[in-house]
Amino acid sequence: MSFLDALHAVVGRERVRSQPLELLLFAKDAGVRAGTAAAVVFPETPEETAACVRVAREWGVPVIPRGAGTGLAGGAVPEEPGLVVVMTRMNRIHSVDVAGRTAWVGPGVINLDLSVELGRHGLHYAPDPSSQSACTIGGNVGTNAGGPHCLAEGTTVAHILAVELVTADAEIHILGGEAPDPPGLDLRGVVVGSEGTLGLVTRILVKLTQNPPHVRTLLIAFADVAAAAKTVSDVIAAGIVPAALEMMDREMVRAVENFVHAGFPTEAAAVLLAEVTGFEDGVVAEAGTIARIADAAGANEVRVASEGAERDEWWRGRKSAFGAVAQAAPDYYLHDTVVPRTKLVDVLTDVYEIGGRYGLTMLNVFHAGDGNLHPLVAFDAREPGMLDKVEEAAKEMVRVSVEAGGSLSGEHGVGSEKRDLMPLVFDPVDLDAQARLRDAFDPDGLFNPGKVLPSGSRCADFDYVAAGAVP
Amino acid sequence: MSWVTTDAPTRAELDACVTCGLCLPHCPTFRLTGDETASPRGRLTAMAAVAEGLAPLDATFEEIMGFCLQCRACEAACPSLVPFGRAMEGARAELTAQRPSRVRTVRHWVLGRALAMRRVVAVATFAVAIAQRLRLDRVGAGPLARLRGLRRLPIPPRPTVGRRFPTAASRRGTAALLAGCVMDPWFSDVHTATVGVLTRAGYDVVVPSAQTCCGALAAHDGAAAAAKALAARNVAAFAASDLVVVDAAGCSAHMKEYGAWADEGAAVAARVRDVTELTAELVAAGALPSIPGDGERVAVQDPCHLRHAQRITAAPRALVRAAGYTPVEIDPAAMCCGAAGVYTVLRPDTSRELGVRKAAQVRDAGVEVVVSANPGCEMQLRGLLGASHRVLHPVELYWHALEQEKERS
Repeated sequence: MSFLDALHAVVGRERVRSQPLELLLFAKDAGVRAGTAAAVVFPETPEETAACVRVAREWGVPVIPRGAGTGLAGGAVPEEPGLVVVMTRMNRIHSVDVAGRTAWVGPGVINLDLSVELGRHGLHYAPDPSSQSACTIGGNVGTNAGGPHCLAEGTTVAHILAVELVTADAEIHILGGEAPDPPGLDLRGVVVGSEGTLGLVTRILVKLTQNPPHVRTLLIAFADVAAAAKTVSDVIAAGIVPAALEMMDREMVRAVENFVHAGFPTEAAAVLLAEVTGFEDGVVAEAGTIARIADAAGANEVRVASEGAERDEWWRGRKSAFGAVAQAAPDYYLHDTVVPRTKLVDVLTDVYEIGGRYGLTMLNVFHAGDGNLHPLVAFDAREPGMLDKVEEAAKEMVRVSVEAGGSLSGEHGVGSEKRDLMPLVFDPVDLDAQARLRDAFDPDGLFNPGKVLPSGSRCADFDYVAAGAVP
Repeated sequence: MSWVTTDAPTRAELDACVTCGLCLPHCPTFRLTGDETASPRGRLTAMAAVAEGLAPLDATFEEIMGFCLQCRACEAACPSLVPFGRAMEGARAELTAQRPSRVRTVRHWVLGRALAMRRVVAVATFAVAIAQRLRLDRVGAGPLARLRGLRRLPIPPRPTVGRRFPTAASRRGTAALLAGCVMDPWFSDVHTATVGVLTRAGYDVVVPSAQTCCGALAAHDGAAAAAKALAARNVAAFAASDLVVVDAAGCSAHMKEYGAWADEGAAVAARVRDVTELTAELVAAGALPSIPGDGERVAVQDPCHLRHAQRITAAPRALVRAAGYTPVEIDPAAMCCGAAGVYTVLRPDTSRELGVRKAAQVRDAGVEVVVSANPGCEMQLRGLLGASHRVLHPVELYWHALEQEKERS
């Protein structure tokens, strides 16, 4: 019996892909680098998923979980030839507890579908990545995804109460629970953001959030980026935590406007989208304060969205930003670093300077409120040496962010993209601790090998290399 | 070996995709399967792999391309503005050139040649009309059961092609009507309504006899040579027309893209209007009246090539309102009904699965009437809804209201 026969026996022939061209389509996520899929399987139940893990373990084939493939850091890219386990068919909302504001969902449920489905109960699922119309809750758990509205609500980890996990021994466990503080170590918290390196998540208990009674969305145009960045830190300094506070630069606004035709000011150097939610009086007061702060910083224009359609169009524009980059070039490299808000202006200046020095086309779009920068480099990967140049520039940009007191990754995950930059923020002892935690779940390195932790993270590896270096 | 024809997806078309994946949830086949190989991004990646010589143009490629409905919902959702429909037509033209098969040859003869032969269509129409009268389409689930979605065909037929319908109102201009391959014999009531509405608005309606099938079905199926020949004939037939009116959404969408199919095609394409958008404009401009009605609820089904390819959504709803009814939304996600031209014959299971969903949405809306501006969607809906619902073109609904108003006054 071959590996493929064994998979066929588990899920049937129709739910296994193995033709070379088919495999090529699973070699990549929405990022830049491709890997190699050995086979692709579409389980429909936790039991089938466990059976797939058992087959993979018997045959010594790595297991790579995949949702919609909208990730940007290579989390779903098979670093070495592996079994890609696609979770999209486990897309049922199993149960909704309206009073308790929780729901058990399959990992393949699309983020926005969940909120649309919950709309009739006046509830939604708060984390809203830009790819929310396409990405899955399972993928969100993998990367601990953020989104514009995570400024006030927190990222994915704050909205996951429990996960059902298929572990390396093909057992099915539930980590966490409906109780606010389940006893024991918080293994649920360990799994969220682990990028498929600890096991396969097959069901998820999510926390639901009540829709706000009032929403006010402001679009603020600036003649220079620094004034926009100053507004961001002044707003937070004034004690306001908007539901969302987003920024796009001129190039980005133009690309987006070309697609949505929402009336974005294409002449402005930077555009801020600020949203406040809550009871009407508070919303009106906060929106007024933000507008005054923006005026003082030198804003050209402040618009308030009409309820409904206009607000939706503005957000649709903001959330299509990454795709709209293709109007500039066939490939893009999206950065995802975090800097202290007070350093926004300095780091942005540095980022533009680095892009200019490497001669790269830069567009900027980011979650300004929490200092999460997403500078985008638009390029053509087929130009010889281009990808290397882009990655060199990327490393410099990450370095200036980290040196300013920031972090490697805001919300997209580390994957393979940021893996080798991890030593910028973690020393060998930190990395060893993380590697040992991973070993505790998956001693044989079955799940998503080559992700998150750079090779040599274990002190044993470190010792081995050191020993080898000394004759 | 990669591409061999000039119709192939171009590098610019494929480069336009940055693989962001925002198209995925809008794709009906991805929704059914959750499979990247059944998604727009996957299909484009497969095309790029063949273009760059990384993968052969083999049976797997053929299956990946063949599963696509060509509904173009992905295009409307794409922030990178990838011309997916064009690229897919190019990929299918390559399949035609590189993977010849007898089945495809026969199919292309039907779509590219036979549909353009009025006598062949007339004979087939007569045979179907007889079958309807013998109620053969009501028996079993065989191939004749597919005819259940058809309107009752008149004997003798009432073709419009070659005719001229002068206006009695103050003259606004001349509109040339696309008679279509099967619209004329099978949907003559839609033409009657279109001609009635346009003459009422002050247009002389002409139906040039030199015209032929628009070539959409041939183009979608990769019969590029036949599609070009048909487009060239229509460009010649409509060259002198200031306004070309089309009352089948699949045909109007294709004719608006004639620039890519025939020399001088862009000039004709720029003058093509779908009857729904033209009529809605005439109502908005006061050239046609809004009829007061009792506001009965009427479901609006958006044909993909009206909504996604032409981005027309307001016009059919405006026509429903102008006819005195209340438009009802059945599917905010605007998924394909599964008819998709010849797809319904080539992949009956997928076609039916999507069609059953759409029919259920209509039933859930609690309406008795559905409007659809495309003949394929209409047949799919009528076939699956049965006698409990009436399925009409929105221009027919409006025309009936106009006629009733006239009788009342």
